[in-house]
Amino acid sequence: MESTDLYSVKQRFFLGAYKSLVEQSLPDESSEDYVPILFYKARAHIALGDTETVTSLIPEDTENLALKAVAVFANYISSPTGDAALEELRDLCVEIEGDDVDASEREKGWVRVVAGTAFARASEVEEALETLGAESTTENAEAVAVAVQIYLSIHRPDLARKEFERAKQWAEDDLLLQLIESSIGLVIGKDSYLDAHSFYTEQIANPSVSSPHLLTARGVTRLLRGEVQEAKSDLEEAVAQQGGQDDAETLAARVVAAGLGTKRGDAEELWSQLASAHPEHPLVTAVNGKAVEFDDLAIRFKVPPLAIPTC
Amino acid sequence: MSVMLTKFESKSNRVKGLAFHPTQPLLAASLHNGSVQLWNYRMGVLVDRFEEHEGPVRAVAIHPSRPLLVTGGDDYKIKVWDLRPQNRKCLFTLHGHLDYVRTVQFHHEMPWIISCSDDQTIRIWNSTSRNCIAILTGHSHYVMSALFHPKDDLVVSASMDQTVRVWDVSGLRKNTPNSAPGTFDTFDNFSTVKYVLEGHDRGVNYAIFHPTLPLIISAADDRQIKLWRMSDLKAWEVDACRGHFNNVSSAVFHPKHELIVSCGEDKTVRVWDLAKRSAVQTFRREHDRFWVLASHPELNLFAAGHDNGLIVFKLERERPAFALHGDTVYYVRDKYVRSYDINTGSDIGLLSVRKFGSPYVPPRTLSYNPAERAVLLTISSDNGLYELTNLPKDISGELKDSSLDGKRGPGQSAIFVARNRFAVLNKNTQLIEVCDLTGATVKSIKPPVQTNEIFFGGTASLILSSTSSVVLYDIQQQKTISELNTPPVKYIVWNQDGSQVALLSKHTITIANKTFTQSTLIHETIRIKSGAWDDAGVFVYSTLNHVKYCLPQGDHGVICTLDNPVYLTRIKGKIVHCLDRSARPRTITIDPTEYRFKLALIRNNYNEVLYLIRTSNLLGQSIIAYLQQKGFPEIALHFVEDKNTRFDLAIECGNLDVALETAKAIDRPECWNRLAQQALKQGNHKIAEKAYQQIKNFDRLSFLYLATGSTDKLQKMQKIAEARGDPMSRFHNALYAGDIQGRIAVLREVGLHPLAYLTAKTNGLEDIALEILESAGLTEGDIDDIPDFGRASLKIPPIVTPTTNLVWPTVPGGESFFDRALADGNLETGVEPHNGDAAITSVALDDWAKDEEQDLTADEDGWDLDVGADGKGNEGEVAEEVDEEEAEELGAGAAPGIDETEIWTRNSPFAGDHVSAGSFETAMQLLNRQFGVVNFTILKPFFVSTFRSSHTYLSPLASLPPLQLHIRRDPTESSLSRVLPVSVRALRQIRAELSEGLRAVSGAKLPEAQAIFRSVLQSLLFVAVSSDEEAKEWRETVTTAREYLLGVSIELERRRVAQEEPENIKRGLELAAYFTHCQLQPPHLRIAMRSAIQVFTKAGNSGSAAKFARKLLDLDPDPKIASMARQRIAASDRNPRDAVEISYDEFTEFEICAASYTPIYKGSPSVRCPYTDAAFLTEFKGTLDPLTRLTEIGAISSGLPAPR
Repeated sequence: MESTDLYSVKQRFFLGAYKSLVEQSLPDESSEDYVPILFYKARAHIALGDTETVTSLIPEDTENLALKAVAVFANYISSPTGDAALEELRDLCVEIEGDDVDASEREKGWVRVVAGTAFARASEVEEALETLGAESTTENAEAVAVAVQIYLSIHRPDLARKEFERAKQWAEDDLLLQLIESSIGLVIGKDSYLDAHSFYTEQIANPSVSSPHLLTARGVTRLLRGEVQEAKSDLEEAVAQQGGQDDAETLAARVVAAGLGTKRGDAEELWSQLASAHPEHPLVTAVNGKAVEFDDLAIRFKVPPLAIPTC
Repeated sequence: MSVMLTKFESKSNRVKGLAFHPTQPLLAASLHNGSVQLWNYRMGVLVDRFEEHEGPVRAVAIHPSRPLLVTGGDDYKIKVWDLRPQNRKCLFTLHGHLDYVRTVQFHHEMPWIISCSDDQTIRIWNSTSRNCIAILTGHSHYVMSALFHPKDDLVVSASMDQTVRVWDVSGLRKNTPNSAPGTFDTFDNFSTVKYVLEGHDRGVNYAIFHPTLPLIISAADDRQIKLWRMSDLKAWEVDACRGHFNNVSSAVFHPKHELIVSCGEDKTVRVWDLAKRSAVQTFRREHDRFWVLASHPELNLFAAGHDNGLIVFKLERERPAFALHGDTVYYVRDKYVRSYDINTGSDIGLLSVRKFGSPYVPPRTLSYNPAERAVLLTISSDNGLYELTNLPKDISGELKDSSLDGKRGPGQSAIFVARNRFAVLNKNTQLIEVCDLTGATVKSIKPPVQTNEIFFGGTASLILSSTSSVVLYDIQQQKTISELNTPPVKYIVWNQDGSQVALLSKHTITIANKTFTQSTLIHETIRIKSGAWDDAGVFVYSTLNHVKYCLPQGDHGVICTLDNPVYLTRIKGKIVHCLDRSARPRTITIDPTEYRFKLALIRNNYNEVLYLIRTSNLLGQSIIAYLQQKGFPEIALHFVEDKNTRFDLAIECGNLDVALETAKAIDRPECWNRLAQQALKQGNHKIAEKAYQQIKNFDRLSFLYLATGSTDKLQKMQKIAEARGDPMSRFHNALYAGDIQGRIAVLREVGLHPLAYLTAKTNGLEDIALEILESAGLTEGDIDDIPDFGRASLKIPPIVTPTTNLVWPTVPGGESFFDRALADGNLETGVEPHNGDAAITSVALDDWAKDEEQDLTADEDGWDLDVGADGKGNEGEVAEEVDEEEAEELGAGAAPGIDETEIWTRNSPFAGDHVSAGSFETAMQLLNRQFGVVNFTILKPFFVSTFRSSHTYLSPLASLPPLQLHIRRDPTESSLSRVLPVSVRALRQIRAELSEGLRAVSGAKLPEAQAIFRSVLQSLLFVAVSSDEEAKEWRETVTTAREYLLGVSIELERRRVAQEEPENIKRGLELAAYFTHCQLQPPHLRIAMRSAIQVFTKAGNSGSAAKFARKLLDLDPDPKIASMARQRIAASDRNPRDAVEISYDEFTEFEICAASYTPIYKGSPSVRCPYTDAAFLTEFKGTLDPLTRLTEIGAISSGLPAPR
């Protein structure tokens, strides 16, 4: 049984309460929890896009492979090309396979998760899945979660489902498993997205964690359920919980919600906000790409002159 | 039957007789020491005592409908008592029995009392005439009991002679009772023994009829209870219940269930199954022999008397198991799970749970899982069981029994903790097992405290109830989150949003937040039964006899009283929804004003407070005291009529105006004094002045005038003082006012000449000084020895600021929200809060829109348009045969699957859906093929925004690229062969936009209208229709928009012509005429007509003007316009000529070319817009449609695809 602190840290990490994790103080270095909490805290920093703190957070000379992996991962996120970082991660993955490596099973798992995430970001799907040990017997719930999301992103909910079912055999009934199930539900849409909706509703009511991410997630779920009005209120509350600051995810969802709602005017305003503040968000890139495509396509049609009466 | 719930217990001398009051919670107990007690068993108090019998009282009964009590004692007397609270006393005594009286009873309708005695007789008395009207003889030993049949004219008696006898007393009814006492012989004629029931081996102690069936039970010293059945002709023994091991004192039928309850000298109360005669339950007492048993006539309530007192008990819990989800109550009645919809009142059975646990025991709790539509029940029989069953989807025919597929297991308490998990408590092993829906244990928890019951504690949490505390426990982490000390918690109620929970114990309620970090405790002396949250956040709860409220900070009070306990389920505004003791839903209407008012006060929601003050008649000392106590005297002021209180409050809150007003009304010195004091404190010296004037406090007045620099008032004060003949006061005032003459005058008058002289002298008033000297008969020489004081150097202090007419700054606080609001005098106007002004201004518009919409629907039938031609489409063209099967093999590595957007384009032939899917290329092809669209540039915003609104992104895991999620049209559809994108542009919305355009037309904002109609036509291209009706509606919308667009364009052209080519009157007239030909709705057509009339009249074409006027009259315009039209017709009758010749033939049908705005008469060739079907002269073929600017005129198109 892991300690309460670590449990809470993991819970908040999985539920997207990165901000509260970042503020979390580290336990004493000698503590058993020091490495795990540092690991998740660093990842929370990365999730928020703050890679610089990670570099300072993790001692450069750390011997711990998991922490090393996180540091490299931070480098990868911060550098635009990041091929060198990817190589380093590959090395680390090889290293943990070795016999004489000084790392616990848990730490090895973490290295895989971090590396898999990086590979997925680099669109190296196959390598990512391989690293994560998808379709194998590795008992690592986090790796399963990442693998499932990768499967979902390549439109293979069937494989995601299989991976999840397999995980259910050995995994403890825990939060992460429910999260995986809800993610699959979001893509498949079984029972009107009931899995995801119930999951996020339950977690929002959870007294021990509060994360605007959960509200955003439920907002998105409600959008999918066709409950636009309710979705809006969730998203607005998510914004309110962040002190009026939109994160990219919430803002993107708000754009969509506004576009489906009754007041379409808001959509354009929110869109321009999103497009200027988060030009790299997939919604922005997708829409901008489509706009360019439109222009190319539109000129293929010959437009005749306007009918003007001659007399 | 595992429960016998003791509701009340009292200690006393041996109880020999018991009787329940039929309607009130009263119980009469007659004691061995001669006293008769009247208990209120609900409140647990001794209401009264009747102590006139000598020796033990064995017999007692209460009249079923009148406030009468009858008792019979070992003093041979039968006494009848008035039970009314104000005059509880013995009304009369019946003498006649010659030995101990054993039982008495009132007849249910006749004024009869039956009694039996050790003198071996049964007597029937007329309580009106107070005579004995019958003596039933025949028993050969003590008669131990004699009771009337509940309906028939029968009596059953039990005797020590080992027999039970049934008597026919119908003769009593026919004959007027013999009034002469002592003529015993005649009695026997009326009453005969019908049956003698022999079978008991010892004396029989008690015999009673069944309330409805022809059954009798008897209890005897042979330790048996015998059941007898009777017909019209005979009676026979059916069976006996064996089990008591000493004399059975009494046995009664359960009023509702097929049960017998008995008690005996073996110190037990036993329950028997009437049908099987088997023992169901036994309740033992250590030391006390039971002597008597009584059952309540209506309720599930019994009383038993023993050596040292009595107990009142229930045989089963009445609290129905229920759970609330949204506005639906799921509950159990008669072992059926039912649902009750609070809004519609529909109450339906869903599931039978008859085979769950003991048939005599109702389920104890119910937990509902909305996600799975499952219920989890627990029952206390068999040492506790739970059962998990899914509610059937459809409930036609016979209800499913839960034993079919329910999952059962042992456990005392079971609840859902998540959508697919439930927790079961095993009390004996103190283990909580978390199970999945198949009943398999996934986790075991050892609770940190001795747990008696578990409740839902919010996500992933449990609330554990122990004997002295409740614990909020995290299931996942297996640790205590927090703990509250409370008496044992029996029920909990979460509020709607799960932020607060009420923990109900027997006598306390703890209101806590969801982390248990804040809580308030309320104590009740009466048993708390249930509670529910009001939508506003007030906890409403019921005790045995009240409905009460509790505010978040702990204030509580009574809302209304209850006759019988109820179990609250939901509070909605003024309606309390509850279940009664027989688990029937009912409602109680309450007045929530008081607690709403208090809540609003606490939350500083003054608008609401004001609204409540204005609209309700809140009154009473309690509210005033409450307001004063909570620091709102200014609000309290508005409730008070009594002037003294009003004055006190006004002073307290510093409302001087009110204080002054009330002080005038009261007019007592102490009031004025207090007012003056308060006024000075607040710097309002004018009111202080008034107060001083009222109480004639001249000194203070003068000083006040001095302080405020009011010299003229000081002068007046001098005069007043003069009038009062008070020289001291005069002097004072003169001194204050700096009036030297005045001072001298006063001094002289009172004979202080030396002082007067010196005053005059030192102030340089030599004349007056001399005058004084003279009047004193002295000369200057006489007073040489007086030293020279010189000139008085003290001056009257100057007035720096004339504050006389000012009021000094008042202390803050007098001016509050309420003062302003209430002073504004809008106390009566009463506008409900939350009604923003915007709402009012928009009302007019909404009405307008409503009219418009009605017009629309009314008119559309009139648009005679053929849909068929365009409705059929070429669905096959795009939608190739969709592969139903996902062809790929599973587990084919990590090969990417098919994107849902691809499936969308496969599944739909509509351009809008292709746009949503991001397949712009096919979308454009579709639009081109279906509607001949060629000019796409202006559609770009539609493409982009539609695509943008069809996908959303979420990243469930850190740092991974977010998942693209696709918003589907029907969220319940998950089969890939049928999924379609969300309809970003719905027909309904576009029609709303259209009516906005119509409004713009009415408002003569033509360019705006034109833009709107264009945009409507553009939007309509992206609509996907799902039914033929929708397709028809779509076509109609297109046509309407086109006609309006055409009409508006013509009118704009006419205005342009009038502006730019004023000489071209002919064209102007033609355009005006064409405008009237567009198919508009009547209001707009009227506008077109009027405009035409105007233009034509102006041009001198009065003949044509009259034609339009006639058409206008057909359109039923309002009277003013109609009269104008008639004038035009009259004018043309005088001069029916047209000054300008125009090309307009109203008699031949024509369409208007949408490019040149010229008529295309019927039969002439034309080309059409492939989308809107607008007509054009053939010369425009191949050009861009000027109306929509989208399509190529005359292009070949397939039209809207068939709906799907």
